[in-house]
Amino acid sequence: MLRYILKRFGIMLITLWIIVTLTFVLMNSIPGSPFTSESTTNEVIQENLEKHYNLDKPLFVQYLNYIKSIVTLDFGPSIKQPDRSVNDLLGQGFPISAELGGFTILFAIISGITLGIVAALRHNGVIDYLAMAFAVLGISIPNFILATLLIQKFAVDWELLPVATWASWKHMVLPVLALATGPMAIIARLTRSTMLEVLTQDYIKMARAKGLSPWKITVKHALRNALMPVVTLLGTLLAGILTGTFVIEKIFGIPGMGRYFIEGINHRDYPVIMGTTVFYSAFLIFTLFLVDIAYGLLDPRIKVHEKEGD
Amino acid sequence: MRKYVLFLLAIITAVALMACSTGEDAGEEKPADDDDAEETEGTDGEDDGGEKIFYINNGDEPKSFDPSIGFDSVSWTPLNNLMEGLTRLDENSEPTEGAAESWELSDDGLTYTFTIREDANWSNGDPVVAGDFEYAWKYMLDPETASEAAFLGYFIEGAEEYNAGDGDVEDVGITAVDDETLEVELKHPTGFFLDLISNPAFFPINQEVAEENDKWHAEADTFVGNGPFKLEEWNHDSDMFMAKNEEYWDADAVKLDGIDWAMIDEDNTSYQMYESGDLDTVSIPSELSDQLMEDDDIRIEEEGGLEFFRFNVTEEPFTNKKIRQAFGLAINRADIAEFVVKNQVEPAYGYISPGFTAPDGSDFRDENEDIVPFDPEKAQELLEEGMEEEGWDELPKVTLSYNTSDTNKAVAEAIQDMYIEHLDVEVTLENLEWQVFSDAQVANELQFSRSSFLNDYDDPINFLESFITDSSMNRTGFSSEEYDALIEDGKYEADEEARWEAMYEAERMLADEMMATPIRYYNDVKLEKEGVEGVLRHPVGYLDLKYADKK
Repeated sequence: MLRYILKRFGIMLITLWIIVTLTFVLMNSIPGSPFTSESTTNEVIQENLEKHYNLDKPLFVQYLNYIKSIVTLDFGPSIKQPDRSVNDLLGQGFPISAELGGFTILFAIISGITLGIVAALRHNGVIDYLAMAFAVLGISIPNFILATLLIQKFAVDWELLPVATWASWKHMVLPVLALATGPMAIIARLTRSTMLEVLTQDYIKMARAKGLSPWKITVKHALRNALMPVVTLLGTLLAGILTGTFVIEKIFGIPGMGRYFIEGINHRDYPVIMGTTVFYSAFLIFTLFLVDIAYGLLDPRIKVHEKEGD
Repeated sequence: MRKYVLFLLAIITAVALMACSTGEDAGEEKPADDDDAEETEGTDGEDDGGEKIFYINNGDEPKSFDPSIGFDSVSWTPLNNLMEGLTRLDENSEPTEGAAESWELSDDGLTYTFTIREDANWSNGDPVVAGDFEYAWKYMLDPETASEAAFLGYFIEGAEEYNAGDGDVEDVGITAVDDETLEVELKHPTGFFLDLISNPAFFPINQEVAEENDKWHAEADTFVGNGPFKLEEWNHDSDMFMAKNEEYWDADAVKLDGIDWAMIDEDNTSYQMYESGDLDTVSIPSELSDQLMEDDDIRIEEEGGLEFFRFNVTEEPFTNKKIRQAFGLAINRADIAEFVVKNQVEPAYGYISPGFTAPDGSDFRDENEDIVPFDPEKAQELLEEGMEEEGWDELPKVTLSYNTSDTNKAVAEAIQDMYIEHLDVEVTLENLEWQVFSDAQVANELQFSRSSFLNDYDDPINFLESFITDSSMNRTGFSSEEYDALIEDGKYEADEEARWEAMYEAERMLADEMMATPIRYYNDVKLEKEGVEGVLRHPVGYLDLKYADKK
């Protein structure tokens, strides 16, 4: 097992290196610079700025500096907000995004799985149709529309909850709802279809024949197998949602890190692009690793660490 | 083996939970009752024991509160309330006494001697001295600082050379003679200098504080200002709170007890916050413009600036002046303003927006009036003449480029239609991402492209100067010694009347050469709650809450 983890870790590092190198190449091949502005631009000032941010050096030297800053995990100051380092930006934005994302995933998983199970158990019944209609709606309504709608109804019209910003639990309700509906619907549909498949398996009939309680059959025998696809989905979902979502954070004025992925590129803020890329890829690779391990727990037939023996 | 995996998972979960719990702390930095207070207080500030708190949206995190670095309106608007230069713009956007109580100009118009107020203090109690200005301005001009605003200081003797790395800091014409007296030597007489130095880039820096901690401007607890308000709280990317600064020399004139700044980068959300009473003033989302323009709360103010299109004079067909003129005259600006851009913007029949007052008290526009009219017949004529001059039977292909945005697209399509209707010419439209667009435009690779201009300081020369030979703002390939000479006069002529005459002439020359054609002037449309008074919105783009009040 330890050998497996070490080997995975090695592969993770190589993947990361490839990603950061590609990002560097792409970043430098797109037109534009961090100092583009419609306002007066002056050559002397451009030169001073480039010198200040070491962008006047040859690309190779810039690449070495870049790798160095990644290895030391010090990405330097943002160009758009020179008073703050990229580490500060991420260090401050990530916990907030993770808080929003964590509650979102929790809510999506609990409600999605419940909805999926209920629908599968009442297959082709009214509840099934209602649940699935709800799920289809959840998938098809984009979250920014849902967000605006929720704000208008709950905050402006009924004055139950605050419109935006991030200050107390009340501020969290609407963004979590807006963000969770999509993943919840996907999880519900996935759970339902795999549950339907699993419920027709022989071992479930066997369990029924043995007279086990329906609760035990559903939760202990059926659900466990039905969850495999959900866990697979969870890996990417986790990385995507925990590291912040641009649109929802923008609409609700949440100071998370989602905006930096988009704005970093729009402003050609090189240190920010670099920081977010490394952070996100490392996070994604890590959650995928966790998912692989979770497979082993859910299904003992999958033994992750023995694959290497093949 | 499974136990081992379980153990590993347990550790990972624990770490993840820790990350989440720090997240909760970070999210609730504000006291718990804060949001309740906001909800009840939003509409009228008097609820909370007579405290007058003004709620406003800054739109984004300020780039920096370092006066030399924060070169954008999201930095300058808050900074203008936290600090004060030698002069401050009054309700007519004219410079009046700020940290300086008086000044004298030498007879040759080259040396200003400012006297700093005795009662001008920093928010930490230190007196504001002339040395703080000398320090701040020289810091701005230091090439190491890499200030984007440094060019604003080039009117000062020796400044440009120092900033370019060719000169010495000793030769820069800024001298603190003693604590109260600041002497500034100019390169040439500069009629708008007092205006210029009201700009946040010219705010002083408390030398003692800055030398002790070069990040003094990065957080609320280290920030030291000399303006009507002081920075109490700053949650990055989230919100700021400013309280009235009792150390300010004119604190009696300040009526608000505090300003609460949100940073919501989404017009719809901020409008909904205004509706629910969380904000006192807000810009309007463009989709709601038609419906909201009728609203009683609406405030429309001119903003010095112009939307225009550039012709590349090095690319056919725009190598021909008559064809450029034809393309300029065939645009129905009134229709674009009224039906496309909306928001009651004014169509631009000239290059310089209204609002610049000449020495005789008249407006710049009174002299030159509508020098780029809408005249389809003349345009048709000019196009034919131009094609004949060049010997073309068919007009070379024209591509109109703009940076991607809904409004830009709508304007471009309207212009495309007008050319089909009035000139029988079909231009191709092309939209580019902003950075790509901007790079191509600066390199003069675009044939016919959209541009916008917002004034950095309150003088027409700011815009007119763009089109001198080889300026990085030129972007048309236009070059004329005659024009360069006019701009030279417009900048440095000591006699104000003659200086303005040169500027009038320069604008007439723009209209004749037509390397760029104006479309519309910018305005600033805001909703403001009833009872809000005295909010100053200057055409240069930042607002002043010194005299603001909530009834």
